[in-house]
Amino acid sequence: MNRKILIAFLFAAIPAFGADSQWVLQQSTLTYHVSHPLHQSEGVSHAAKGKGVCHAGQCEFLIAVPVKSFDSGDSNRDLHMIQVTRGAEFPLVTVRTRLPESDATASTINADLEIQFAGQTAHYQQVPFKVEKQGGETHISGTIPATLTDFKIDPPSLLTIPVKNDIPVRVDMTWRPQ
Amino acid sequence: MLSNLWRSSVSGLLVVSLFGMLAPSLIAQTVGKGALTGRVTDASGGAVANAYVTATSIDSGQKQTASTGPDGMYKLDLPEGNYRVTFEAAGFKTLEISSATVSGTAPEILDGKLERGEAVNGSPALTQQENLPNAPSSSTTAPSLSDLGLSPEQTRGNPQEQALLDKRTHMLKIHQRMGLITTIPLVATVILGPGAGGKSEGTATRDLHVALGSLTGDLYGITAYYAIRAPRIPGTKKRGPIKFHEAMAWIHGPGMILTPILGAMAFSQKNNGEKVHGIAQAHGPVAIVTAGAFGAALLSVSVKF
Repeated sequence: MNRKILIAFLFAAIPAFGADSQWVLQQSTLTYHVSHPLHQSEGVSHAAKGKGVCHAGQCEFLIAVPVKSFDSGDSNRDLHMIQVTRGAEFPLVTVRTRLPESDATASTINADLEIQFAGQTAHYQQVPFKVEKQGGETHISGTIPATLTDFKIDPPSLLTIPVKNDIPVRVDMTWRPQ
Repeated sequence: MLSNLWRSSVSGLLVVSLFGMLAPSLIAQTVGKGALTGRVTDASGGAVANAYVTATSIDSGQKQTASTGPDGMYKLDLPEGNYRVTFEAAGFKTLEISSATVSGTAPEILDGKLERGEAVNGSPALTQQENLPNAPSSSTTAPSLSDLGLSPEQTRGNPQEQALLDKRTHMLKIHQRMGLITTIPLVATVILGPGAGGKSEGTATRDLHVALGSLTGDLYGITAYYAIRAPRIPGTKKRGPIKFHEAMAWIHGPGMILTPILGAMAFSQKNNGEKVHGIAQAHGPVAIVTAGAFGAALLSVSVKF
């Protein structure tokens, strides 16, 4: 009888070991930085949603954030940002990356990112991120070296002076396994 | 008759020669360019708006994305070649076409039929409420947009709103430039003000002051028009320096109307050899306050304090 229970338990346990594991984005802060001779502006969003699916030692992550969710503290600037990035037509910024599952235990990771934004797709190779484990959560932070030309965005101008091409995006995310 | 024939022959030759010269460059421009177009529908054949269609070049890995309109139509202008095409939309399973060939002769038509995202245990498609980030992924390999629990408002593209934003930006750019141009005669008018209203009997400064004041008023009117007529974007709550900028308009707007009226009264009094008196005496102070409010409005959106 005990042997039957043991066999039944083992059969029940096998799918669990073979099953995919998943990660969910718990909270996030994404901050873009724009430089102009008269202004240094930052827009912040906490509205990113993300999910990671691990299978056979590889994890695929998808993060999406609505363009409209970025707040720079100035509604006029935010509307202008949405206009130049065609945020009404392409309302989401999506980031995809694939990482080895073993990276979850590393202190730094270098991720190849595929970012879709403003109707364009750009690739960033080996972007470094710092990884910190806190309890069951994994905290990831880093900066994506994005530029306006990567997404064919005409640089907005103030007093006829255009902003700089670099728009680094600081990423601060907390993931938890599902 | 002969003359007409000669004229038409020469014209014909010219057209042929011109075509001969331009044809190679026209052909060169068209070679290598193609397009991928089609309609994205759901299982019932209904149009799926705001679906993302991504074409990835099999040769170079370059990607290009377009979103579908309200009729489910999309178009991607692409170089000739072979592409892997994915169709993605919130609430639907991602559809991937492993190879589509784009040629320069005619647009390649590729329609996408999307299936609703599957829920666990074989239950029907996830509803919006169920479609939460912590719901199991509809894919065993890669998560898709439908897994993230975004609302339809967040994922749906809105070309009409984009057109409204484009118009707004266009008008506000003109507003900004005209505002800067207006500053020049405005400053000059204020500088000439004390001379125009002084004890001097000469009228040259006064006339120049009036001319510059009129020019300022006209330019200001155009500047204001582009701000007032710029489309409002529904659902936008005003925050930041724009509130101060608009508050200043309530000072310099009426000021720009009042200043020339008081100025005309003062001008008339001076021309009659009288000392400026009565309400016309307020022309100078009102003009100073108006110019100050205008300057503050300009600075509030230009320089970060």
